[in-house]
Amino acid sequence: MNAHCVTDDELHAYVDGQLAPERRLFVERWLADDPDAARRAEDYRAQAALLHELFDPVLREPASGPVEELTGKLRGRMPGNDNAAPWHARHWVRMAAAVMLIVGGAGGGWLGRGAVDQSPVVQQRQTLQTFAEEATQAHRFYTSDERFQVELGADNQDELNSWLSKRVGRDVFGPDLGGVGLRLIGGRSLPTELGAGAQYMYVNEANKRVTLFVGAPRSGNPAKFGFSQNGDVATIYWVEGPLAYALAGRMSKEDLLRVAEAVYNDVKAGPRRPEPQSQQNPQPQQQQQQEQQPQPQQDQPPAGVQPISDTHKPKDS
Amino acid sequence: MEPSRQQSGARLSTFGVELEVHIASLRRYARALLRNRSDAEDLVQEALTRAVARADTFKAGTNLRAWLFTILHNVHVNQVRSKASRPDEVDVDSVESKLVTPARQEERVELREMMRALDDLPEEQRKVLLLVALEGLKYEEVAETLGVPIGTVMSRLSRAREAVRAKLANEGSVALRRVK
Repeated sequence: MNAHCVTDDELHAYVDGQLAPERRLFVERWLADDPDAARRAEDYRAQAALLHELFDPVLREPASGPVEELTGKLRGRMPGNDNAAPWHARHWVRMAAAVMLIVGGAGGGWLGRGAVDQSPVVQQRQTLQTFAEEATQAHRFYTSDERFQVELGADNQDELNSWLSKRVGRDVFGPDLGGVGLRLIGGRSLPTELGAGAQYMYVNEANKRVTLFVGAPRSGNPAKFGFSQNGDVATIYWVEGPLAYALAGRMSKEDLLRVAEAVYNDVKAGPRRPEPQSQQNPQPQQQQQQEQQPQPQQDQPPAGVQPISDTHKPKDS
Repeated sequence: MEPSRQQSGARLSTFGVELEVHIASLRRYARALLRNRSDAEDLVQEALTRAVARADTFKAGTNLRAWLFTILHNVHVNQVRSKASRPDEVDVDSVESKLVTPARQEERVELREMMRALDDLPEEQRKVLLLVALEGLKYEEVAETLGVPIGTVMSRLSRAREAVRAKLANEGSVALRRVK
């Protein structure tokens, strides 16, 4: 097994994640023996990280009017298109696209280049990344043993929400994720660098767990969101209003994104009051945001999904 | 895990997200290539106009991303050809000031140097580096997009990366290293 027959092309392919899986071990062995090659790989990755840092902000900018319009047009013209055009969900769509395109932050050790960053923008991103890392660790820890997974169960969701709201110092609630097959089982409060955070735990039918970590950053910037992959745990994080959210689970980016979308929509709609029967809820949503998203079905839990609680009250204050 | 479709108003089709992802990617690439917000949006706009006109030539199930990037590349090549009077070299500082990305970012030495190193690359290498390292295209997709053999993609990539590496090392932002 001569590790030295690794080619230059293979080193690039390794860095770019395009190496045939069966060659990976050879390349890694080579890198372990050849510090120069290892440094090259490291530098190439650092270059990619710098490029992302320079140009990822474009993903957070709205496209120009004509580009938006053409995107919609193209969407209608392409084969395979189902023509369901939820273009009112602009912010979410943009965020979803960006999450798919942003390089993982917390998981890649090579992203930490040891530079001391002073700018507030960088600091805030680091704070959010730290928040996401904490969420990832908390996910790992509290999903490892079923006995310790929640401090307080979701039997009484009001109690859970008001207790966690007190700890976080802001109104928080566990969104209804029944639409994506997830049931809230409870939560716990955890210390973070941003103060106390609330961890909500969900489970699906296959007993797979997803956690939503909610905290109150010192300053909220709604344009910030990101994705990180730490081992098998994927985390999507963002800021919405005064709160930061980090959603963690052992699943693909695409699947997690779908859950994030459900969280995002439910948070936008605010805590609901599910009626015992599927009755139109005439009350205006207290937490309705300024976004113009029409969400006609939002008030009703999807058919066949059990309401988490039928005594849910709107938040105090 | 296979989450069921969400029953909300903001549900997205997979195709919708995919298209959106690719277009966001085109916009980021165009910006990195041209450095100027309005030029970049114009390029993307022109490319999408063409894509709309030729939508029926796209075969479902084939590579949408490569198709879009190829169109963008061709439009760019034509634009460069028709704007032959435009100077090749642009002052880095003037370009940087036009960036719409938060200017604070530029305060970091490393980022500024990366920008300069990128500027100093021949365009053919810059394109390959951006397509691979920033946009995550597969080497075959880059070859298809640029209309060159894959071997050419690999050698341009290698030269671009080494050139940037030498620049960053020489500028002293990273610990000084010998670069072969």
